[in-house]
Amino acid sequence: MHENTLSNEELEIFQEIMNIAFGRATSDLAEIIDIYIRLSVPYINVLKAVELPAYIKKELKDCGSISLVEQRFWGNFKGLALLVFPSGAGKELIALLSNDKSEFIEFDTIDELEKETLIEVGNILIGACIGKMADLLKDIITFSPPTVLIENHPNNAIPKSIFDPDDTTIILRTLFRFEKKDIDGFLFLLVCQESINLLKKALNGFMEQYK
Amino acid sequence: MSMIHKILIIDDSSVARMILKSCIPKDQGYEIHEASDGSIGVKKFKEENPDVTFMDVTMPVMNGIQALEAIKKIDNNAIVIMCTADVQMQSVNKAISSGALTFIKKPPSKEAVQEALLKAQSSLLI
Repeated sequence: MHENTLSNEELEIFQEIMNIAFGRATSDLAEIIDIYIRLSVPYINVLKAVELPAYIKKELKDCGSISLVEQRFWGNFKGLALLVFPSGAGKELIALLSNDKSEFIEFDTIDELEKETLIEVGNILIGACIGKMADLLKDIITFSPPTVLIENHPNNAIPKSIFDPDDTTIILRTLFRFEKKDIDGFLFLLVCQESINLLKKALNGFMEQYK
Repeated sequence: MSMIHKILIIDDSSVARMILKSCIPKDQGYEIHEASDGSIGVKKFKEENPDVTFMDVTMPVMNGIQALEAIKKIDNNAIVIMCTADVQMQSVNKAISSGALTFIKKPPSKEAVQEALLKAQSSLLI
């Protein structure tokens, strides 16, 4: 863990808050896509933003390519959220939503459906996590519309131009468990040091009410 | 007079256990025990025989539903209250059909915990 980042105690508090956020996101997703799902406890890590491409390359080395949803958020706490799935996850989600797995849809339609599915899932998950953090920080956050990059190679998944080398990345790795399929997913939050400082203060403030 | 003397909290998050403990009334003299996963929780249940167990759902090693079922095999009358942020009907129904008394949503409030304890108390009187 590098300097000026979250301490072990702060990470534990953040972990619990994200457990709650992911739990709520699960319920929201289940209502929308009408299918039972479970989200595993997020694994949390903190890296310098410059370390992220290498991290993704290592963690997703078995994936030929990835699907990525990105969404910016602004408030006092601001940054970029990236939801990463192995490529084809959107199609898997579509297949799960369809009762008859042998149904085939025209290729062009699948691309659009895949994008829309990833956008919806991304919107809910990112919204739930950042939304929960906003509650914690007593902040009001605005979101950009989510956008999807599909089948982008992991090494090039994150253009270096989009982040400040001094930014910090918070990694939340979770496993989406559907009734018959597990889909591995990552959520990355790229934030500036000012936002990390706000988060640290808010995490400690959050626990004060329980002491 | 409360018939609840001993409470067991099973949750892999030390923060979650701290939050729940802070919601339990301090003036009732409850003896509180903790376990950091379902498997340890089942062992603690056997050792301590608590009156009420608060159980997280999502845990490593042994999840809350598995631990609940194991506890119910030890004592079918065991009172277990599930604590979860996942409030999908299927999750709730699974917990109740496995023998949980009730569930409370995370993060818990003092009111929700006290209501759950009152429900547990009533259950002990039956």
